[in-house]
Amino acid sequence: MLGTYGPPAALLALCTAFSIASPQFRTWTNLRNVLDSASVLAVITVGLTFVLLLGAIDLSIEGVMAASGLSVALLLANNRNDVDLGFVAIIAAVALGACFGLANGLLSTRLRIPSFMTTLGVSAIGIGVATVLFGGIQPTISSPAVAEWANGQVLGLTRLTFVAAFVVVVGVLIQRYTRIGRYARVIGGAEDLAALSGVRVARYKTLAFTLAGALYGLGGVMVTIQLGSGIVAAGAGQNFTAITAAVVGGTLLSGGRGGVIQSVVGVLIVTVLANGLVLIGVSPYVQKAVQGIIVVAAVAITTWPLRERMRVVK
Amino acid sequence: MSIKVDDKIGTVRRAIPVRDARALFLRFMPGIVLVVLVLAVALANPLFLRPNSLLTAADSAAPLLVLAAGAMLVILCGSIDLSVAALASMCSVFVALWVPALGGWAVLAAVLVGATAGLIQGAVHVVAQIPSFIVTLGGLAVWSGIGLVASSAATVGVEGDSLEWAFTRIGDARIPSAALIAAGVAVLIAAVFWFTPVRRWFEAVGSAEPAAVLAGVPAAQIKLAAFTVSGACAGLAGGLLVARTYSGAPGLADSLLLPVVAAIVVGGTAITGGYGGIGRTVIGVLIITVLRVGLSVAGVDPSIEQIIYGVLVIGAVSLTIDRSKFQVMK
Repeated sequence: MLGTYGPPAALLALCTAFSIASPQFRTWTNLRNVLDSASVLAVITVGLTFVLLLGAIDLSIEGVMAASGLSVALLLANNRNDVDLGFVAIIAAVALGACFGLANGLLSTRLRIPSFMTTLGVSAIGIGVATVLFGGIQPTISSPAVAEWANGQVLGLTRLTFVAAFVVVVGVLIQRYTRIGRYARVIGGAEDLAALSGVRVARYKTLAFTLAGALYGLGGVMVTIQLGSGIVAAGAGQNFTAITAAVVGGTLLSGGRGGVIQSVVGVLIVTVLANGLVLIGVSPYVQKAVQGIIVVAAVAITTWPLRERMRVVK
Repeated sequence: MSIKVDDKIGTVRRAIPVRDARALFLRFMPGIVLVVLVLAVALANPLFLRPNSLLTAADSAAPLLVLAAGAMLVILCGSIDLSVAALASMCSVFVALWVPALGGWAVLAAVLVGATAGLIQGAVHVVAQIPSFIVTLGGLAVWSGIGLVASSAATVGVEGDSLEWAFTRIGDARIPSAALIAAGVAVLIAAVFWFTPVRRWFEAVGSAEPAAVLAGVPAAQIKLAAFTVSGACAGLAGGLLVARTYSGAPGLADSLLLPVVAAIVVGGTAITGGYGGIGRTVIGVLIITVLRVGLSVAGVDPSIEQIIYGVLVIGAVSLTIDRSKFQVMK
């Protein structure tokens, strides 16, 4: 009950509370702001969800977003070089993200290292690649058509918000109707049983990491388009916010539970919380601390009954 | 059930010869790597072997060694502390804020704050049985949030010379005080490991916690102690950083997380726990430091450093990890 209806109820309660506390919160403009500012987080959290369903974790989001963001800034029309690949640049940046994801998957499954270690290493590699690409001069995108995606409005929302909505729909379809999604849940539920039943665990784990990497790449592209230039800090702070969103929405870190829709509810909760707290005058820096407490508390609450069974937790 | 027991015995029996080879490899490899690195750097630039450059290198290694010494204890008992760098950043802010009131004692206060923060993380990990990387990842966010709020997201400058003792040169040999402090921390941990049964307790908890508990090892207390010391070390490292930059900032030490983990695993401490020690960690920190010097001698772009840390962490973990401990790898 709490697992299914808790997060949507929390979202509703938050919206009601902020509407009462702040007249500014309950305006259409603000609703559009919330949806627009949730777009990047939604895309990367959909990706992260597939990794969390496995029972693994991904700490590489900041690195992948940085590398993809800088490569897309350098491949679109910009002030650093004469390259202008247009839409192909975006495909290339997403593909780069997928390569990082593939590296995460292959290193975790073939070298048999816990995913939090491999993804921490890969994140550093991504940041390093981005720093090398940055090269001291910030690449600024000079194409007005690209800026239109972040600024121009369709039905009152930016086009990037529709991109995010599309990604969510595709994410739900992948989760429900493809082997990547369905096996991810199976592997997260009981990896040893999945392997005994003939599921090619390593292959589908790697595929899930790759899909996630591609979506982080897309997230990096979206941030870069929003900012109009490529920076190494494109994904700064997003990794932990995405984990918070997924966990708050009901996608457990232990794997096998939750899904894309739950995670999106979590994204909305986190975004509404950030928006509402700013509107009622709370320092945005407090939010980072609050997120940390929320994640640990959510994990503690969901695993509390299992405490006695899991005598040894590292 | 009986099948499972047989299975376990089988794995252990098969693992013994492999483990001996691995132990041999883990014992000597880091030292060899360090010697080769030093020789390579010295060949490229013989000036590196002058006492002055060596002391400068030692000075720059001090905060890293303090952080790594504490975090190594947590890894030795099989957990991990991802919050050390963020905690050091938070403590640097507090040191900078408290120096006007407390003078040099601000560092001691920061060490206490760090120890308390570590103790809280350890208690959450032990009592609620939450994996340590999640607790300390949450802690990372909490500590950097507190650091941001306390400093209003700005760099806090330090005036006066009340922290000079932590960043000066002592005597005719011009030995850096920070290096002495870091060495003191390492010697203290080494002494405790040498003269008390604590080392065996750490290794027992890290190798096989259920067996350790049955044998009467105070496992929960050991883990709490590890997290507390790790936090205290982060506080001290924050103080050392303030002394050398004359300021505290909410992101001052954040970039040290990867070098710390890299130093510990490159030194040969297994991420799965039960194998490692302070000597190895010192060697690991020296490897990372010499590597940094070597890169600049070789004229390599410093932005590649992060890539190297990433590769080193993954490579060293894959060489030192004890895979027999995992039924499935998450």
